[in-house]
Amino acid sequence: MEKIIVSGDLESLDAISDYVTTAAKKANLDTTKTYKLRLAVDEIATNIVLHGYQEAKIKGDILCKAEFSDTSLKIYLEDSGMQYDATQQKKPEDLYKPLEERSIGGLGIYLAINGVDKYIYERHGNSNYNIFIVNIK
Amino acid sequence: MEFNAILETTKNTAKIILSGELKASTAPVFKSEVEKAAATNPERLVVIMKDLSYMASAGLRVLIFAKQKMGANVDIYIIAPQEMVMDTIKKTGFHHSVKIMDEYDNDKVEA
Repeated sequence: MEKIIVSGDLESLDAISDYVTTAAKKANLDTTKTYKLRLAVDEIATNIVLHGYQEAKIKGDILCKAEFSDTSLKIYLEDSGMQYDATQQKKPEDLYKPLEERSIGGLGIYLAINGVDKYIYERHGNSNYNIFIVNIK
Repeated sequence: MEFNAILETTKNTAKIILSGELKASTAPVFKSEVEKAAATNPERLVVIMKDLSYMASAGLRVLIFAKQKMGANVDIYIIAPQEMVMDTIKKTGFHHSVKIMDEYDNDKVEA
């Protein structure tokens, strides 16, 4: 599949979700794996837009590409926003607390990392690379 | 699918009917309806999710906001969530704090 490049704003995230859903279909993922992969990519892409770009007052794009193999589907997100390594974030500690006692952060990253078989973050130069891997077999 | 959040209020109950996809770009619409609902000082908030096909963490944050805005004594009911939305609710432990039902009968709840 040809990669796509979208601007780093919330309105562009639907294009990324559509791309991921199409890639998942091409890889014959079932509906559960497809939903979780779409959610994982959407959560990280949302973080890129809100924190990596908007909060940091940086303008930039998000590149999304899919890579297929016999055993897995890999989705790559590349951006030039603020550095953020989601793998360093601890699991939210208040998952059993009543909602009125909860903090509002951390749920998206938690869902993202738990929604795929492997999640990798890399930083090269001024670019962030978020890689989502789903096993096909 | 286009997102919609429709608020209906009765004497003690605020009901919000959600449809479409609840994500970062659409969550402000839901939040706005929660704010309107909170202004009516309901005893309970009922969120109908039957036609909600997708929910990201932005939707969960609005539910946390609802509880914190309305107060711990206001029960939140989630009605008929689809399988994957339910998976997200369970994975994040929200099912411990909200009441989940297949359908909502106001008379039974108020009885």
